Amino acid sequence: MHEMSLVQALLAQLTTLAAEHDKKRVITVTLDIGPLSGVVIDSFQFGFDILSAETSLTKGAKLIIINPPATYQCIRCGHRQSAAVRPDHCPECNETLLIPEGGDAIILNQVEME
Amino acid sequence: MCDSCGCDLTDNHSHKTDSRVIEVHQSLLAANDAIAAENRAHFEAMGVVAINMISSPGSGKTTLLEKTIERLKGKIRIGVIEGDIETDRDAQRIRAKGVPVVQMTTGGACHLDAAQIHKGLHLLEKEPGGDQLDLLFIENVGNLVCPATFDLGEHQRVVLVSVPEGPDKPAKYPKAFISSQIFVITKTDLLPYFDFPVAEAKADALHLNPRLQVMALSATSGEGFEAWIEYLQEVTENKGSGVQAGGRKEGTYP
Ligand SMILES: Nc1nc2c(ncn2[C@@H]2O[C@H](COP(=O)(O)OP(=O)(O)OP(=O)(O)O)[C@@H](O)[C@H]2O)c(=O)[nH]1
Ligand SMILES: [Mg+2]
Ligand SMILES: [Zn+2]
Ligand SMILES: [Zn+2]
Ligand SMILES: [Zn+2]
Ligand SMILES: [Zn+2]
Repeated sequence: MHEMSLVQALLAQLTTLAAEHDKKRVITVTLDIGPLSGVVIDSFQFGFDILSAETSLTKGAKLIIINPPATYQCIRCGHRQSAAVRPDHCPECNETLLIPEGGDAIILNQVEME
Repeated sequence: MCDSCGCDLTDNHSHKTDSRVIEVHQSLLAANDAIAAENRAHFEAMGVVAINMISSPGSGKTTLLEKTIERLKGKIRIGVIEGDIETDRDAQRIRAKGVPVVQMTTGGACHLDAAQIHKGLHLLEKEPGGDQLDLLFIENVGNLVCPATFDLGEHQRVVLVSVPEGPDKPAKYPKAFISSQIFVITKTDLLPYFDFPVAEAKADALHLNPRLQVMALSATSGEGFEAWIEYLQEVTENKGSGVQAGGRKEGTYP
């Protein structure tokens, strides 16, 4: 469950941000978690629910997870397609070998605090 | 400028609460990746090529390292950082082969992270011969999932699957295969006893990552070992140049 390690990293970042901006409570947290990031979103949410309840800063905070698509480039003709689920083949030339690009980010985008 | 929302208006608007949205746009792995970059610089200063070995428990990582050390004795100076949840048994096995080794125990965590490797590297340099290496193997915690997310600063990543595990591992655990340069199928001496179509496993892995180099070998019989040894000789000879070209660029993992 490396999702727990990632939630801990998130909470550490939130604590730093709150101190920097002199805020006491986190209202919403918006993250990008790509389909190739290796993160199970349900496990991440589960970890966040448990660990966020432990401090007054994050108790009751809402997590918004955006799952941006990855880009797949055809190894034969170079055609690029964007998809949330790995495509089987290239729509241009039918090649099945496609190189994934991006889609592996785990990014904290926005935090609403008061 | 308004302090609450950062807008340019100075009057005539109010905020229902004192809340404010802060734009961050930073990876949750930023802290790990910063240390990984330091490790990479440290490896380069030492003139060592670092290889991160990832597989499920028992796929044969330590056995492969034992045989590799025997084969390359006197040719390539090898060191090892072992990662396990508990015990230093793997480090004892490697130490018995006469090369510098340190054991990192994660005390429960299912993967190594860059900070542990940083610590391990400093400990390794204190071992006899630990600061005079060509090749550093990092044996990750036995787990095909979590280690794939954490950059350790390695130059090359090797994912292993043993014949008894079955050929569906690339399809089921894609991340490890997408982020590796080398895929080693181990325990090929067991092929007669298991249903493991090598071509199918290879095709599935290449489907995920067409750049992956695939090898199949048995540490027990020695079958297929030449390609592995040649690969290791190549990456160590080309350190500084070939590694960069064949290996991965900084920041290509999340
Ligand atoms: N038949 C056969 N057995 C092997 C081979 N390589 C390793 N084994 C056996 O597989 C078992 C596990 O091997 P290890 O090398 O300890 O595996 P590991 O990946 O280091 O295991 P962890 O560190 O616990 O994740 C041992 O009983 C080995 O003897 C091989 O090529 N053929
Ligand atoms: Mg081992
Ligand atoms: Zn895990
Ligand atoms: Zn195509
Ligand atoms: Zn305002
Ligand atoms: Zn250091």
